[in-house]
Amino acid sequence: MSDLTPMDHPLAAPYFQEARQGRLVVQRCNACGALRWPPLSGCPECHSRDTTWVDVAPRGTIWSFVVYHRAFAAELKSQIPYTVALVELDAGPYMVGRVIPGPKPPAVGDRAVAEFVVTAGEPSVHWRIA
Amino acid sequence: MGTLRNPVAGAVAIVGLGHTHQGELPGRTVEDNAVDAGLEALADAGLTVADLDGLIACKSVQGGGNDVAVGELLGVNLPYVQSLDYGTCNFSLHLAVMAIVSGMAHTVLLTYGADARSRKFDFGKPMYGADFASAAGLVHIAGRAGLALQRHKAVYGTTDEQFGMLAVGQRQWAQMNPNAIFRKPLTMADYLAEPYMVEPLRRSDVTMISDGGVAVVVTTAERAQDLPNRPAYVAGIAEYAGVRGEHNPQNLMRPWLKDSAKAIWTSTGLTPSDIDALYIQDPTALWSLQMLEYYGFCGVGEGGPFLAEGHTLPGGDLPLNTHGGQLSESYTWGWMHVVEAVRQLRGQAGQRQLDAPAIAMYCSSHGFVKAAASILATSPDVGT
Repeated sequence: MSDLTPMDHPLAAPYFQEARQGRLVVQRCNACGALRWPPLSGCPECHSRDTTWVDVAPRGTIWSFVVYHRAFAAELKSQIPYTVALVELDAGPYMVGRVIPGPKPPAVGDRAVAEFVVTAGEPSVHWRIA
Repeated sequence: MGTLRNPVAGAVAIVGLGHTHQGELPGRTVEDNAVDAGLEALADAGLTVADLDGLIACKSVQGGGNDVAVGELLGVNLPYVQSLDYGTCNFSLHLAVMAIVSGMAHTVLLTYGADARSRKFDFGKPMYGADFASAAGLVHIAGRAGLALQRHKAVYGTTDEQFGMLAVGQRQWAQMNPNAIFRKPLTMADYLAEPYMVEPLRRSDVTMISDGGVAVVVTTAERAQDLPNRPAYVAGIAEYAGVRGEHNPQNLMRPWLKDSAKAIWTSTGLTPSDIDALYIQDPTALWSLQMLEYYGFCGVGEGGPFLAEGHTLPGGDLPLNTHGGQLSESYTWGWMHVVEAVRQLRGQAGQRQLDAPAIAMYCSSHGFVKAAASILATSPDVGT
């Protein structure tokens, strides 16, 4: 298991279960309906703890991105250069994810589609520039 | 003495400064460095440990250096003692001001020590545990700073040449500072020729890792009159905390910095044009870009053209980080910014001394989360 991935956090377990099936899920507050990501034990809008995980469309817009040319962790050494984006999901929440290398570099405002990539047993969202 | 609008103005002064050599200090602990700096700050203030009734210890990023660990080496029991997880010295200074204005303490030592360089501290490791961002490879402060800068470039058209004025300018100041770790000249051509480290940030846009201790002595304005140094009076303090979650636009762009700005300008009655010397804590140069804008030294989104005009360089009308800041002088989590601000107000800044500055400002933040600002002045009347 990676030191960088929160696989063993109980709050994250439903996300990884659904991701293995290719579904992108976030938390929804059953009291007020607010969607939230990353997962929290309660709703920051209304403070209810009554929560369901719901599917969201795996689409969004690149809010910003960075390209790592230096590996700040041993496990990242084989991966540089790699690109990480902050994506505004069409459903509302913001999500950090890897960008899949494509024919052109990403740009702020690009549309992106989520794909699930399993690396060393850990499924994670990667974004393909549309 | 302070008014209802600003009860701290002129009530408290910085009277002692101390710091170790900044760079590599192998074999010395966080607490050793904090105590060495603390003893030097007391000596600078013309005081001894026996004169203290307060100690505020700022923990290093690795977690050492708290009040119990520092107090044990100082050998004191005191009425007011506190530890802070928040760095930059601003938060420590604010706590000292509150302790003194409340009457809980009169003379307080603020300490900070670090051994991150000698200990080879891993700044790529997620500080508060793995999360979904680190799982995607978004590690090190340069990642989040890069996201914010890339967005700034896309929205406002900020260029690499404009942003590079920060790194290049900090090096110009550092060349006049014998304490600075990076003093080799850095031209704009040199800067632009550097490869990206975390694009759009280059190596020179990000602080180095260094060992060292820094300490400051704070006391009442009344007691400051009897001490050897020209007091640097605290004219105003303000904070604002964006504690509502990371990795979103509110966290990365920090529009809430304007709330800290509004608080300090309103309470002191000052405006950006009153500031003779500006200090912005700069683990990455992005901090300076954002704070120049949100504290009102230029318009929001106008930081690029403002920097290109050279205001912040030696000889400019808004000297910024006259010691070279965290980009060129040393890491020290921003603590040396306060030392330099006070040195300038005292007239002790050597070759880089400004022409009789009367008011200095220090803006800082803990990560992307918690912001603080302080205004220091040679006169106790400023901010009242």
